[in-house]
Amino acid sequence: MKTITFAEALGEAILEEMERDETIFTYGEDIAKQGGIFGAYSSLLGKYPDRIFDTPISEEVIYGSALGAALVGMRPVVEFHFSDFLFTGIQSITLQIEKIRYMTGGQGKLHLVLRGPDGVSNSAAAQHSESIETIFMHIPGIKIIIPSTPYDVKGLMKTALRGDDPVICFEHKSLYYLKGEIPEKEYLIPFGKADIKREGKDITVVTMSRMVHESLKAAQELEKEGISLEIIDLRTLVPWDKDLVIKSVQKTNHLIVAHETWKRAGWGAEVSSTIQEEAFDFLDAPIMRIGARNVPMPFSAVLQNFVTPDKESIIDAARQMMEGN
Amino acid sequence: MYEIKIPKFGLTMEKGHIERWLKKEGDSVKKGDSLLEVSSDKISNEITSPVSGILLKIIGLEGEEYPVGHIIGIIGEKDERYEPDKTGKEEIVKTTSPIPSKDKESVQEIGDRRAAQPVHIIKASPLAKKMAKEHGITLSQVSGSGPGGRIVKKDILLFGEQLKKDDFMVKKLSGLRKTMIDRLSRSYHQAITLTNMSEVDFTELKKHTKSMGVSITSGLILLVCRVLLSLKKFNSHFEENQLKEYTAVNIGLAVDTERGLLVPVLKNTETLAINNIQEKLKSLSAKAKENELTEEDLQGSTFTITNLGMMRTDFFTPVLNPPEVAILGVGRIVKKPCVVDEDKISIREMAYLSLSYDHRVIDGADAARFLEKLAHYIENPDLL
Repeated sequence: MKTITFAEALGEAILEEMERDETIFTYGEDIAKQGGIFGAYSSLLGKYPDRIFDTPISEEVIYGSALGAALVGMRPVVEFHFSDFLFTGIQSITLQIEKIRYMTGGQGKLHLVLRGPDGVSNSAAAQHSESIETIFMHIPGIKIIIPSTPYDVKGLMKTALRGDDPVICFEHKSLYYLKGEIPEKEYLIPFGKADIKREGKDITVVTMSRMVHESLKAAQELEKEGISLEIIDLRTLVPWDKDLVIKSVQKTNHLIVAHETWKRAGWGAEVSSTIQEEAFDFLDAPIMRIGARNVPMPFSAVLQNFVTPDKESIIDAARQMMEGN
Repeated sequence: MYEIKIPKFGLTMEKGHIERWLKKEGDSVKKGDSLLEVSSDKISNEITSPVSGILLKIIGLEGEEYPVGHIIGIIGEKDERYEPDKTGKEEIVKTTSPIPSKDKESVQEIGDRRAAQPVHIIKASPLAKKMAKEHGITLSQVSGSGPGGRIVKKDILLFGEQLKKDDFMVKKLSGLRKTMIDRLSRSYHQAITLTNMSEVDFTELKKHTKSMGVSITSGLILLVCRVLLSLKKFNSHFEENQLKEYTAVNIGLAVDTERGLLVPVLKNTETLAINNIQEKLKSLSAKAKENELTEEDLQGSTFTITNLGMMRTDFFTPVLNPPEVAILGVGRIVKKPCVVDEDKISIREMAYLSLSYDHRVIDGADAARFLEKLAHYIENPDLL
């Protein structure tokens, strides 16, 4: 085992796969010369100058060209700079990338990866702080991976680079310098396999990304009160590991779904609803959802903290859920 | 679609208690099939299906009480599905359909009254419900410790452990029994009940009734009626400090049935000859056995007779059937050596009469007079 950062693990995945498969190339804004605005590509600096390059600021062109490249057999990995900027090229993704595989009856393979940072950071305000994964979950046609650790990002990215489907990968800004252990040897993580980040017996917390770490902190504090959280990191949202969540709920009989994106119609609603449909008889309390308040992200640090869910949100929900128990 | 509602068994019936459903949701039913048992505060009846079809929905829950006219179930065609009305008012209008709604105002009024009734639901988590079902636990017996009193897994587990520890089962009381408890407690707490007892010679009455081909009970009812006609105070109700003496003599007869104690009433016995009494008695007891007594059969008594003689009880202290002021208990008729006229010993068929009365309105001497008079009639049935 070795200890590396999230960004280094991401770089390792891309470099290893580039070496293995020469159709892989990667481009976007400020990645080749700068190493990515949050350092995602810092370990790629100076490598493969012909296969890692910068582009002008035009998301429509970036995503659209990836579609074309993939259709002619290349495996592009494109960075979206900020997840918010997916909206500036959205039609290429939702109308083309998410549909072509289906509309050609599977003849058009679409091995491309869209990846980049999302989530809150210090006062990045309304247009640079969003988590919009639910939108891509809602519209069929693209796989979604949202790793929370160095180990997960490497294993999942390698799987993404070997598949034939379009994949979108959201990397939370606060995670790039997070350190963690990964094996020396090569490994891949299949999609649709969630990871139990902490075993517990009272409440299942289904979460992803930065909220995995907030949940782990909450679990530590709640343990002192005798409330034991089981933290499930879905790791991939499309497909998501329903079976593991149901198995856990059958044990704990309580479910909280926690994400950073807005609570209103966030993917927590999808998970809650599915569990209600398929494991109703195992629920001992109403399912609770944790998400951001339903407003654009404020610039004010105080208000940003107010709007964004954190470990306290999970602690409050867990206490409320176990009231009387 | 056909709505099953809480029926009105009698004029005074306001609420019905669902004892149990005899059909499940999804069962097909034929016209005339028994659907469920409903009890009022006086009587329990099986409700039969007025139509053939599928029992689409059970709305009224076992063990719960609903106002007369409340929809408790839906019968429909095989492919029909029951969708509850979205708007409460529509449903209300339908619920009260037996009452002709002349204008909007009356509907509104009914609606409001209905809305004011608190809806009683038992809150329980899906898991708790499932566990309760598996363990045969009735949720209404479990107290909930979850938010808002919700019954959760822990409560079912605790209840289950308690059941294992206890060597008794808590039985749910029927609507009939609840009514009895209510009436008897009221009687016990309000009336000042005393009992006078007297040993009476039934030999002659027994012979006499046998020769007429009627039962001793019929004879006794006739004689009691006669006493009541002369001692009117005993044929009365005492309510809200008012003593109401009745001219009609309606004698209630306490009957032990599988469903508990019932008191069918022989109306206007003062107008009946002994053979009429015999006939009425027969029809009432047949109805009681078949559980076909109507609410009408069970109301309006002015005096009650209770007989435990067939079960070896000699004398006892009957509890008043409120708002009546007296009740006569009849003990076992048993052959005894008795001193009869001119100091001779003879074998006679003797029984005790126990007369309980409300001392607030009847004095001990009144009771003594009652028993003396009745004894005199019983021992001299020729006077009839």
